Amino acid sequence: MIDGFLGEVIDWFTDPANWTGIDGIPNRLWEHIQMSALAMMIAAAIAVPVAVYLAHRRIGGSFVVAVVNIGRAIPSFAVVAVALPITIRMGLGLGFWPTLLALLFLAVPPLFSHAHAGVVGIDAALVDAAVGMGMTDSQVIRRVEVPLALPVLMDGGRIAAVQVVATATLGALVAWGGLGRYIIDGFATQNLPEVFAGGLLVALLAIATEGVFSLADWVIRTRQHRIVTHSHKVDV
Amino acid sequence: MISVAQGSDQPIIVWDWIGRNLGNILDRTIEHLVLTAIAIVVGTLLSVILTLLALRWRRSYGPITWVTGLLYTIPSLALFTFLVPITGLSVLTAEIGLVSYTLLILVRNMVTGIDEVPQEVVDAAKGMGYTRRGRFWKIEVPLALPVIINGIRLATVTVIGLVTVTSLIGLGGLGFFILRGLQTFSSPIGTTQIFVGTALSIALAVTADLSLVALEKVATPWRPRGTP
Amino acid sequence: MRIFRSRAIGAVMLAVALIATACSSGGDSRDGTTIVIGSASFGESELIAEMYAQILESDGYTVDRKFNLGSREIYAAALDAGEIHLVPEYTGSALTYLGGTASADVEATASDLRSTWAASGVTVLQAALAQDKNGFVVTRETADANGFTKVSDLAALNGAMSLGGPPECPDRPFCLIGLQDTYGLVFAEFRPLDVGGPLTVTALQEGVIDVGLLFTTDGVIAAEDFVLLEDDKGLQPAENIVPALATSIADEYGSDLTALLDALSAELTTEALTEMNRLVGYVGEDPVSVATEWLTSVGLL
Repeated sequence: MIDGFLGEVIDWFTDPANWTGIDGIPNRLWEHIQMSALAMMIAAAIAVPVAVYLAHRRIGGSFVVAVVNIGRAIPSFAVVAVALPITIRMGLGLGFWPTLLALLFLAVPPLFSHAHAGVVGIDAALVDAAVGMGMTDSQVIRRVEVPLALPVLMDGGRIAAVQVVATATLGALVAWGGLGRYIIDGFATQNLPEVFAGGLLVALLAIATEGVFSLADWVIRTRQHRIVTHSHKVDV
Repeated sequence: MISVAQGSDQPIIVWDWIGRNLGNILDRTIEHLVLTAIAIVVGTLLSVILTLLALRWRRSYGPITWVTGLLYTIPSLALFTFLVPITGLSVLTAEIGLVSYTLLILVRNMVTGIDEVPQEVVDAAKGMGYTRRGRFWKIEVPLALPVIINGIRLATVTVIGLVTVTSLIGLGGLGFFILRGLQTFSSPIGTTQIFVGTALSIALAVTADLSLVALEKVATPWRPRGTP
Repeated sequence: MRIFRSRAIGAVMLAVALIATACSSGGDSRDGTTIVIGSASFGESELIAEMYAQILESDGYTVDRKFNLGSREIYAAALDAGEIHLVPEYTGSALTYLGGTASADVEATASDLRSTWAASGVTVLQAALAQDKNGFVVTRETADANGFTKVSDLAALNGAMSLGGPPECPDRPFCLIGLQDTYGLVFAEFRPLDVGGPLTVTALQEGVIDVGLLFTTDGVIAAEDFVLLEDDKGLQPAENIVPALATSIADEYGSDLTALLDALSAELTTEALTEMNRLVGYVGEDPVSVATEWLTSVGLL
């Protein structure tokens, strides 16, 4: 029986019709990657500068915790559902915008908390030394704090990215595309090989995303002489 | 009553509807709680077994983390919808999915918790004559409790969120309202349902979170105040 | 989910839940299997299922509502598996789904469905007068700009337009397959949206799709000034609304139960259904109260 089912999945993957057109694997995969990357970049642009600044000034610790806790307490399904009437009333329509909005919501808390924790976790002696050397505030941030916070930040990025990739599947519920289409459409027609294939593709993409971040992390660590050890394990 | 006119002059939240549907809302809340409770209890039991395995045979920790991690990366939507033809539109289907998502978090936290017990304490216990078993259950586990409860807390909040997705397979708890609202979003009752489902899910998650934080404090009275 | 009440902690929660839930004021509760009523994931199906639930409850039957299950593949499987016992169906589509041949003949389609499904343990009761067929819809602007009044008119723009509908549309003989085979239409794109719901309506309004699948009893068509294209080649079969009931339940409760549902079917007209859909879908009233009002108005409650 498993034999037969796996056979059907393989059939689905080897069917050329599934590799062409709007509903083909290349297009859906590309949509999914684009959306995830876009959400991550915008979320980082929003979350990181604010978090780094707050951490630099050593304020907002409990705010960060609150953001993370609230972010975690909001089901992603709810965010997608709430985003839809909002984007429609804003005239942005269905599909792309509610999905993006929902993913931003998801990605900001982990990026925010990790950026903050990364900067806060830097040995105060280093920052003092930098100030002592005559660096201005912004120089301290740019040349000392951000580079040293990078590993922890990348950790947060990894966590956020994997969640974004997995949750982008829900975009199919608000008329967006992406790999979630295989899951939703397959479920509606009870085409199980398609559902399985969709789930498999997303899982593979998530693993690949994790891999990319691990690689980036390794690159950063080997290039950086780590004077300071961060023993922070941030729970998100 | 409260209305925010939106062009078409229709309210966003129909409080009347909420009043008339308190029974349904209560039913769905109970469903949500029960689904969550089953997942956490079963997940914790399974995780304890897996943790004991991982601690006893270190080599198994890698594969255990790998498998539970894999389960975690499968999008919940895919996992639930995929199980339906096998186990039906049932609580079992939902629970298989929900429990799978708890395993990575719980096992990782349980193992880390035990690992982080300082070696000196373990040595001291050895020196005092504790048996291996006694040492484990009377010294290491209590000291690991904060991290373990933290894991349960994380898992609980995650599960509460995931239960909403089970609305797509006929259950959903409060997610039922979110789904109905999503399918009728152009009507005021639709947006009301999205609001009710979302607000209550968040309330549930926050309550669970805070309760478990309190539990953590109660369970570890020896920890000084202010310790994160 | 009523089954969780019996597991809830303490009789207090049980009592509170029972009191809080709108209970029927009918006669004594009947002993026997709780009847699980399912519905598809669109408003009309849920409305009709809600009506079934209300008349059964008013006569003392214990009912469990399992609505919003999804497409036919999902709820039909649930019916076959005994996870639900009763669901509203549409004669033509159901018959085609089971492998039969549907036609515009109301009686023939209904009795064919009856005999076909009986073999799988499902009793199809009396068909209602009301029919709800697939309707292909364009906006007033599109219709005026191209002179569209009938489905076959769309062939003029073959390859240029996009069709929007439920995800299962490409698999349905009365949806995309029929449009291609019977009308020879070619669409540039098919967008999976929802089952004649607000996603499809919004997509039409915003021009995301050119042609959308809605339903002939959908009040939104008139309200939004959409144009329902005439089915000039008769693609759509008779689609009378029927209760599909598990034979085991029909046997258990007998004609007491089936008579209730038949009485409802006898009163349900297309006009009444369209008006109820308008109240729920467009005016935004609560389907439960719309159902109760109508049932009361025709003397069934």
